[in-house]
Amino acid sequence: MTSLEPRTTGWKAAAATVARHLLLDRHAEFWLDQVAPGRSLTETRARVVKVIAETADMRTFVLRPNRRWTGHSAGQYTTVDVEIDGVRVRRCYSLSSAPGDQLAITVKRVAGGRVSTWMHDHVGVGDVLVLGAAAGDFVLPTPAPAKLLLLSGGSGATPVMSILRDLAARDAVRDVVFVHHARSRADVPFGPDLRALAARHPGLRVVLELDDAPDSRGGFDEQRLRQRVPDLAERATFLCGPTGLMARVESMYEAAGLADRLTSERFVAAAPVSRVADGDAQIVTVRLGRTGTRFAATSAAPLLDQIERNGGRPAHGCRMGICHTCTCRKRTGAVRNLITGAVSDAPDEDIQLCISVPQSDVELSL
Amino acid sequence: VTAARRTLSRAEVDAFGRELDTLRAEVVADLGQRDADHMRGVMRDVHRLEAAGRLLLHVGVDPVSFTVGTACLALAKILENMEVGHNVMHGQYDWTKDPRLASQDYEWDHACAGEDWRRTHNFEHHTYTNILGKDRDVGYGFLRVCEEQGWHPRHLVQPLVALSLAFNFQWGVATHDLHVDEFLAGKMSLAQLRARARPFVAKVRWQLVKDYALFPALALWNAPRVAAGNLLANTARNLWTFAVIFCGHFPEGVAVYREEDTRDESRGDWYLRQLGGSANIEGGSRFHLMTGHLSHQIEHHLFPDVPAARYPELAPRVREICERYGQTYVTGSFGRQLRSVAGRLLRLSLPTRTARMSAAAPVAARVAA
Repeated sequence: MTSLEPRTTGWKAAAATVARHLLLDRHAEFWLDQVAPGRSLTETRARVVKVIAETADMRTFVLRPNRRWTGHSAGQYTTVDVEIDGVRVRRCYSLSSAPGDQLAITVKRVAGGRVSTWMHDHVGVGDVLVLGAAAGDFVLPTPAPAKLLLLSGGSGATPVMSILRDLAARDAVRDVVFVHHARSRADVPFGPDLRALAARHPGLRVVLELDDAPDSRGGFDEQRLRQRVPDLAERATFLCGPTGLMARVESMYEAAGLADRLTSERFVAAAPVSRVADGDAQIVTVRLGRTGTRFAATSAAPLLDQIERNGGRPAHGCRMGICHTCTCRKRTGAVRNLITGAVSDAPDEDIQLCISVPQSDVELSL
Repeated sequence: VTAARRTLSRAEVDAFGRELDTLRAEVVADLGQRDADHMRGVMRDVHRLEAAGRLLLHVGVDPVSFTVGTACLALAKILENMEVGHNVMHGQYDWTKDPRLASQDYEWDHACAGEDWRRTHNFEHHTYTNILGKDRDVGYGFLRVCEEQGWHPRHLVQPLVALSLAFNFQWGVATHDLHVDEFLAGKMSLAQLRARARPFVAKVRWQLVKDYALFPALALWNAPRVAAGNLLANTARNLWTFAVIFCGHFPEGVAVYREEDTRDESRGDWYLRQLGGSANIEGGSRFHLMTGHLSHQIEHHLFPDVPAARYPELAPRVREICERYGQTYVTGSFGRQLRSVAGRLLRLSLPTRTARMSAAAPVAARVAA
């Protein structure tokens, strides 16, 4: 996760501090937002300038970011904050555009996915999204490898497309094979663009593996990949796609001793939190990120008590969940609020230590 | 109102607590866009009112623009302090995850430093509400607001002291956490007081610069007019907040508690004490907004981190529960509560017998006269 803090130096930082103390920063921010909604002194925001329906369930949002956007490398992702029913929710999305082009993210509508569904149903031209900074190491090394295999499935085409577009823009498509897996031709995103790129760059070969093709066995087929790309051992491979596809490609490369040729991008950053059963007092590990302290804790007692018992002295007040003094950022893990019963299991959420019991291994920003 | 608070059995106290917990859970589950929109709408009004007020003060030359400008600025400060600052800093909007509504980061347009406020108010006052010796908001350490506090000759002048506090209320609030009384009593060294005062000094410096140096300077020849307008707006805000807050805890019928009776409180006991220690003010929706919904002091003390704009809809249900359990729900018009507070401050300035609190029925410690 990257910082949303402004990158200011020297007199700008001093001016920002003075403005904050004089409470003028919020006035500036408010009036700036009134005059020009996309602009902000503190947040990276982007206005949606175009929405492209790539497939039935994938949409590209072309964005015009404000000046706080510091650019990206092909293959990176950014965080996107949207407000759903009054609550800000954050997700990571890969950028599908090349660095010099208009910024774009491509979002697949995930069944049951709150943010992707909301993006498809509610975000249109003129809307403003809040972005983080570009991050991720799914990027080409410099100089770019001479022979390249871009391997993707489903919405995994997004960062791969950014890399391909970047190579094309730099006229550096020497020997690239792009193998994409999809259910059917209608499910292949960036169709017109891919055709145009292939026509313009003789060094690019696009291979579509479609589940509904008569000779397809469905999904990833190792034999087939070896047939289509006989020289894959010589190629630097960039892989992004659904978990099943990625696992199979990774084990294939592992078995062939090619693991060091493979660079992967996983959309699900953290493994799902494994929670203890309700009502059971079980032992979990609590880690305090700042001090590096680590101790065994029970899932039956509030975190505040347990941290204190292990020598920590976190700020606190009422010990009954009303004063919010002990509010602290939970980096990872799941906790349950004893008053509301609500479970927080997303990373980087604020929790009240005095009324939260751990439900899994937990890392706190303390 | 003449109403005794019925002493509840343990089972009844627990049931009372559970009913309020259920009510709270119901509102929390319903929080959403309209709550976020409400707060942003108020913030928008604050910005507009402040801009309008400052513009009129800065460019106008006539008394009408001075009066209107000052009124706009006072309104902006009242709304910002009461509906935005107080409520946001309580954590009422933390669930939105909007960094502008984050309780631990918000700083209000008030002499009291946000970090001092969060400790003394959110923690001390809201946890130990109306416990003598624990809640320093009971008379703020120098006013006698209930019979249970012993009389001292200095209380003879307390009507005047209260009046001057009303005009300078933000300074009273800002210095509340310095524990100057302990320093004067020799219980705290000057070095300790200095260390304690650090956030206060830092905040006050910037506040004074903003209202009495920067903005007047920007007005050039109009500087005295702007400084005067700012002073009047701050004073109007002081008077208003003083009036609302004194009506929240000091009218007749509000109870105080002994520390020894509150040591092993259950959640239900805590709810009962919050109810007994608070009083509401009746009025329309504009009035409630202008008080930051502290006109619903009872609901606020029961649910301090639930968005205050929800208190009006909670109030009838809270009242119904209270009535069912035979618990007085102290409420009255603004005028009546103000007269009640004034009468009490006057009456208690004279020596009266220090009331003894009964240990047997702490919850029903006092019967309203």
